[in-house]
Amino acid sequence: MARQDGILAALWGLGLAAGFTLQRSRFCFASAFRDLFLFGSGRLMKAILLGLAVATVGFAAIMRAAVPLAGLDLLPPQAHVLPVGASTILGGLLFGYGMVLSGGCVSGSLYRAAEGYVASWVSLAGVVIGLGVIAQTWNWWWTSLIATEPKLWLPALFGLGYAGALAVTFAALGAAFLVLTWWEARSGVVAPAAIAGAPAISFRQRIARAWHAVFVRGWPAAVGGAVLGGILVVMYTIHMPWGVTGELTRWANAAMTLAGATPPEPLGLNDIGGCAALAEETGLFGHTFSVTVGVLPGALFGALLAKEFKLRFPRNAVRYAQSLGGGLLMGLGAGLAIGCTIGAFFSAIPSLAISGWLFAAALAGGSYLGVQTIRRIP
Amino acid sequence: MKLDVRGEVCPYPMLKAVEAMKKLKGSEEVVVVTDHAPCLETIPPQAPRYGYTYAVAQTGSPEWTITLTPAGAAR
Repeated sequence: MARQDGILAALWGLGLAAGFTLQRSRFCFASAFRDLFLFGSGRLMKAILLGLAVATVGFAAIMRAAVPLAGLDLLPPQAHVLPVGASTILGGLLFGYGMVLSGGCVSGSLYRAAEGYVASWVSLAGVVIGLGVIAQTWNWWWTSLIATEPKLWLPALFGLGYAGALAVTFAALGAAFLVLTWWEARSGVVAPAAIAGAPAISFRQRIARAWHAVFVRGWPAAVGGAVLGGILVVMYTIHMPWGVTGELTRWANAAMTLAGATPPEPLGLNDIGGCAALAEETGLFGHTFSVTVGVLPGALFGALLAKEFKLRFPRNAVRYAQSLGGGLLMGLGAGLAIGCTIGAFFSAIPSLAISGWLFAAALAGGSYLGVQTIRRIP
Repeated sequence: MKLDVRGEVCPYPMLKAVEAMKKLKGSEEVVVVTDHAPCLETIPPQAPRYGYTYAVAQTGSPEWTITLTPAGAAR
């Protein structure tokens, strides 16, 4: 029991650190995808690539320790290797469209909720409703679609092994970096020059400047990406990669149970890692609770230190509808893909799963469609 | 012209600033007031594309004023 308590305390610390990092670096997966199409900026997507590179090295080491011989039809425990197929594409399209419509993905809405963005609270409510709809209809999706979809894990494919899978993943990350740079050059986007502050001379000034850089001024996105990648590795070392929709699914299920509409026992989920809501993980202070709800105080702490907390109410009532509708679509998408931009993408690519790449492509497609829509909403 | 986009989140402040710069075509400066920190990264890169320069000032907690000045009038 003492060991369990220690793990839980560590996961709480990591949840807080993740929330703090998201808030400080204003890390936004929705912007990363959307800004590619909105104004040809790859700044945030490059930060995500850096985070993926950091996490991939760590995940490979953890998975190799658990399953030394890849290719024996055995997946490492907890790895986010998810089914690859129509559910991945449909889930990614819905999620990508929803996050652009609402202005933030699930993790983005979580840390913005803690910064006082009221619209993000509405988005999260939409996400929980969407996840509830999938929970009620899961067995239909499973039998007609997901049950036949393979869980493709790179080290077990074509005799790649860990070294081959790492090489393939890094080649793909490098190629993505080159494509993003070409995309930026083509669109002519200009990075803003860094604003130079007053020179720091004395010890006191230097300390004040360091404090300011960490706790007041926002971090560069690339720093946020690298730190989040590191947090992911430590989370997996302790127990599991990062995911947030599993916990929100549990909330949806608990609410429906209270209302007398308990969702049916889901088929197939016991063999799937990631953000599948597992029965044994119930309880308010479970592992997924700590790394999901922990984001809130972590982000609030960051916002308070930087004096960035403020209750912000959208003045345009249409924004509430966008948040709820976008949240609902994200819930449906994350339910089908068994994870959001964190669980099915940011934790999946480092798990050396094909599903992470396919989900990312579908997110890009959904974001492209979302951009066409928000351009028409004043 | 003054553009008060407090309460709005990405990408609306940036889209509205771009719309204003496109409409004014450098005839007037655009003063954007926002309480959304990510705008500090999204609005400035747009300025040179429409012939504007930018200056960012923190005018509250959390509130920033991004002044977009027609490049010709800057100096």
